Amino acid sequence: MFKKSMWYSILVIACAGFIVLASGFYQAIIVTTMVGPQPSRETPMTQTTGDSTLSSKNPNSVQLLILGDSVAKGTGDEKSKGFSGYLPDYFKNNTSKEIVLDNAGIDGLESMGLLEQLQSKRLDKLISDSDIILVSIGGNDIRSILSLNTLAKEDEFRVRLDSYQSSLRLIFKELRNANPNSMIIFLGLYNPYEKATGLEDARLLTTWNYNTQQLVEEDGKAIFIPTHDLLKFNVGKYIAQDGLHPNSAGYQALSYRISKSVETILTGL
Amino acid sequence: MFNLIENEVLKMISKKRLMFVLAILVVLISIFAYGQNHTAERTKAQLAQRMGITATDDWRRLADQQLIDMKNRLDSPYRDEKDKSSLRVRIEQLQYNLDNNINPLEQSAAKFTTKFMEQSIFLFLPLLIIMLAADMVSGESSSGTIKLLLVRNVPRWRILLSKYLTLMILEIIVLFFAFVLSVIISGLFFGLGGWLAPVATGFKLVAGKLDTSAVLNVPQWRYTLMVYSLAYFVAVVVGSISFMISILVKSTAASIGIIMSTLVAGNFISYFLSDWKITRYMFMVNLRLTDYLSGSFQPIEGMTMLFSITVLLGWAVASILVSFVYFIKQDILV
Amino acid sequence: MPQNAVLELTNLRKTIKGKEIVKGVNLTLYPSQIYGFLGPNGAGKTTTIRMIVGLIKPTEGSVRICGYSVAHDFVKALSNVGCIIESPDMYKYLTGMENLLQFAAMNKTISQQRIKDVVEMVGLQHRVNDKVSTYSLGMRQRLGIAQAIIAKPKLLILDEPTNGLDPAGITEFRNLIRKLAYEEGMTVFVSSHLLLEIQQMCDIVSIIKQGSVIKTATVQEIIQHDDKVEWQINDPEKAIALLMDHWQIKATQLKTNTISAEIGQHPLDKLNEFFIREGLGLTYCTAKQNTLEDLFLGLTEGDQIV
Repeated sequence: MFKKSMWYSILVIACAGFIVLASGFYQAIIVTTMVGPQPSRETPMTQTTGDSTLSSKNPNSVQLLILGDSVAKGTGDEKSKGFSGYLPDYFKNNTSKEIVLDNAGIDGLESMGLLEQLQSKRLDKLISDSDIILVSIGGNDIRSILSLNTLAKEDEFRVRLDSYQSSLRLIFKELRNANPNSMIIFLGLYNPYEKATGLEDARLLTTWNYNTQQLVEEDGKAIFIPTHDLLKFNVGKYIAQDGLHPNSAGYQALSYRISKSVETILTGL
Repeated sequence: MFNLIENEVLKMISKKRLMFVLAILVVLISIFAYGQNHTAERTKAQLAQRMGITATDDWRRLADQQLIDMKNRLDSPYRDEKDKSSLRVRIEQLQYNLDNNINPLEQSAAKFTTKFMEQSIFLFLPLLIIMLAADMVSGESSSGTIKLLLVRNVPRWRILLSKYLTLMILEIIVLFFAFVLSVIISGLFFGLGGWLAPVATGFKLVAGKLDTSAVLNVPQWRYTLMVYSLAYFVAVVVGSISFMISILVKSTAASIGIIMSTLVAGNFISYFLSDWKITRYMFMVNLRLTDYLSGSFQPIEGMTMLFSITVLLGWAVASILVSFVYFIKQDILV
Repeated sequence: MPQNAVLELTNLRKTIKGKEIVKGVNLTLYPSQIYGFLGPNGAGKTTTIRMIVGLIKPTEGSVRICGYSVAHDFVKALSNVGCIIESPDMYKYLTGMENLLQFAAMNKTISQQRIKDVVEMVGLQHRVNDKVSTYSLGMRQRLGIAQAIIAKPKLLILDEPTNGLDPAGITEFRNLIRKLAYEEGMTVFVSSHLLLEIQQMCDIVSIIKQGSVIKTATVQEIIQHDDKVEWQINDPEKAIALLMDHWQIKATQLKTNTISAEIGQHPLDKLNEFFIREGLGLTYCTAKQNTLEDLFLGLTEGDQIV
């Protein structure tokens, strides 16, 4: 009888299903309520201090510190080198000293985040030992406003720029407190979007870079390195698969430019 | 008891209501699958356009690069442990994709089946359950057949218990078919695979913030199982409440109306009155249990998986108690 | 309590929403009899029957079926009852057979053979595999009886059973009830507001009015006791006086030369002889058998009966 067999299949499905679902339910509760494995490694705090004691100031070396966002860190380089990989190679041409490098870049960092990182004083030892500090920041501050409509974009841009500028002032203050003498190299912003090159966007980017440069120039021992000009017509060549970060060739080109700008300073160190 | 449950199930089969619910499932899953397919293709097209290359073909290079980046990040001494555990989980996932040549942008039946239930758990699934549950007692009241049942030499609580157990069985059947139909229909669009891919879970709330320190990867099939188990729990809770209302109200249409409007109101409440503390004790705002698995919930102080399950369980138990007490005591006047 | 009573109601009362619907019903039913439960609509028949089968809990008083209290021994008490309450509501989306199987599944003593027998007994064998939604009211009524008697109950309760049946159906139904009572030994309790139905079907009748049973007697008793005779006589005044003097019969004058009297056990032929002897000029005599209706109207003092 059709209905009878249907009832038996329902019964079998229900019994099996109940057992399976009960075990799933148990797992779900365990997974969401269990206590996570406590980190057995040392905390980043002690690691940092350990690092910085290791890299204590050595008169026979040039200390390079890279700070800021994912570009500083080297994200996007398919050879995973980034500035940390290429800058020392180029710097070698101008100095005989050993080049010691630290990279404290963090993906997605905004100017406020960098300021917090500096204010935490964790990096102070590294900073004070550094001869050259490369800073890349601001890209994440401005990136999210690109999707807004023109009107809102203008307003939001002003707000972002204001807060970015005040952060940047404080960032310089923190850096100089820790080390008044090091050379600070500040990277400008570029436009990674081949398609999004409206006049309006270009104007915002220029305004941003201009204001940044003004601030950087206020510091006597800092240099603003533009990147926009280098990448504008080379997006396909220098931008990585993710459509945002430079690729290996991009990092090399930027590193080359940076090394040229500080040639004389390097030889003087 | 076994005979009574068999009776109830046979009635349900004959009433075609179960078939109706399954038909709705087929239609909705088909639409959802088609929509997902469409979205996936559009995303691909957008990516390809933005990057000037066909990202879908080149995904391995992109993934390789992301993987290297994340490994670097993991080595960075300037990150705290919380970030690292979620990073490790992401790396595992990407590595799996690369090892098994799975484009992370591609849908799979496994992903779809899970996503479908995650999207259904707070409104669509309850609605299906209500359609079944609201009729179980009020249907007999309005047709007068309840009289025939209650003048047998079977105590009232057994009659009601058999109906409740039947409801629990049918809830499994609904989930079973939701699962099977999702797999089959989405399999037609996306292929049947994807059951071993790692999925991140284990998110927790600590002091009102999402804590990712305990995040780990589980195979997709286990994740799917957990999602469907939670969905079953939700189904039982909603079923119990509808069951109670079906006993109290006696008219099928009225009881479906009451519980549906409660559910919809619950969605409003969780949206507009999320600051109001008392709302978190309502069952409607606690139905999104799978969000605790996927970590996609709004971090609200005091709302955790255990909290939600306790609240829901409280509602279910209270509903069952009210149902039985009222049903045993009531005079049948129809 | 009486030894072999099938149903015993003791001071049964029910108050619904402050209104007393049933006001202390006492009733005892014995095996293999057909009982009528007669009363106008709204007299409390259905409420009483619902209390008997446990659908409604009495406010006061007790119901015992075959010695088991419905309140305390529900399962044992209800094992002895089969019933149709008001209309025979069956599952319309099931077939007649599936309906019966549903009820059979709730009682393990029912065999497949019994189901077959019952279907034949109510004459549904040709339509039993059709959906109930296609049945006529008469067929639903038969199916209702089938489900009521399927477990061979000692007490069969039928609430307004002939509603919607055509005359042929009613006759058939009556025969079936008789068969069940006298051949299968069931006690049948039939409630109705139709006097004729009760008169034709029942052995014993209880009359309920406004929540109280006002008379219980055998149908034969009630009808015989109250035989009425009418005479057409030339001199009614003298006849009334003579009847009172010689026979202690109280007669009343109906028309100019017609008198009427309840003669009770007195033989009518002797009375007629007496009138002729006395030279009263008897021209016509009719013995009118009293119906339940007269009695009912008298007892309920002209309450509306449908």
